Amino acid sequence: MANTVIGSSIVIDGEISGEEDLVIQGTVKGRIMLKENIFVEQSGTVEADIETSNIEISGQVTGNIVASDKVEITAGGRAIGDIKAPRILIADGAIFKGNVDMDV
Amino acid sequence: MSEPITIIGTNTVVSGNLEGDEDLTVEGRVEGSITLSRTLSIEVGGVVRANVHVRNAVISGVLVGNVEAQESVHITEAGRVVGDIAAPRVILVDGASFRGNIDMGNFDIDRDVKSAPARKPMPRPQAAIAEAAPEAPALRSVPSRPLVAPRPVTAPAARPAAATAPKAAPGKKAPPPPKGRVVGKAKATKKAR
Repeated sequence: MANTVIGSSIVIDGEISGEEDLVIQGTVKGRIMLKENIFVEQSGTVEADIETSNIEISGQVTGNIVASDKVEITAGGRAIGDIKAPRILIADGAIFKGNVDMDV
Repeated sequence: MSEPITIIGTNTVVSGNLEGDEDLTVEGRVEGSITLSRTLSIEVGGVVRANVHVRNAVISGVLVGNVEAQESVHITEAGRVVGDIAAPRVILVDGASFRGNIDMGNFDIDRDVKSAPARKPMPRPQAAIAEAAPEAPALRSVPSRPLVAPRPVTAPAARPAAATAPKAAPGKKAPPPPKGRVVGKAKATKKAR
């Protein structure tokens, strides 16, 4: 499985771009541009503006998110920033602050 | 019936202030403001153009206006909402339509940062970095551009209401006026908070 995993003790300060799934267990700052799925796991911290097709947030994300398909904040997820996506899911228990634009 | 419940039926239009201490189910139409100490349910087909202050809100119909809930706001897969939501719990399921701002209040990242002392600017050396990443570090600082731009609620598109509601005053795009001086017609009003 073509997959990128940023492990929990890794800090990336800069830009990530690519065309395969990205699993973040560590820290990413800067900018993420992806055509696939991003999974921010419980231990993951992202301070970045994000462009992707799908993102599932179980950790913490600070930044603006533009997704071409879906943004999901799970029950343990925390997000601050603006979200633009056709489908946005916020689970009970998730924490979110920001603007939501589904293009309605 | 011990539990009092108010229902605004399918063919009923309420225009003005609605206040109460019991559950309210809207299957018809309400314009103005709603203040409840209980739960507001907007059923499929129900249309509310109002600023809403409730304990809980469950929205399966259309809501245009700002919502402030003491406990939770739940937008179901049939729900369509344009406006700002302030509540400690906000649940947005797949299929729900929403445009506006969400504020869960209790999440103050700046305060988290200040109370997390050891989070100094990230050290450069590779070796140090690995150790400097705690399991769940508090977030620090702000990325390159503003996160939650304090932009006003963009005048919400009238589409959700217009599509479902026969009389969804076309052209009146903003949420209705804040409670207290409702005249039944939605006047252009920005944030009510």
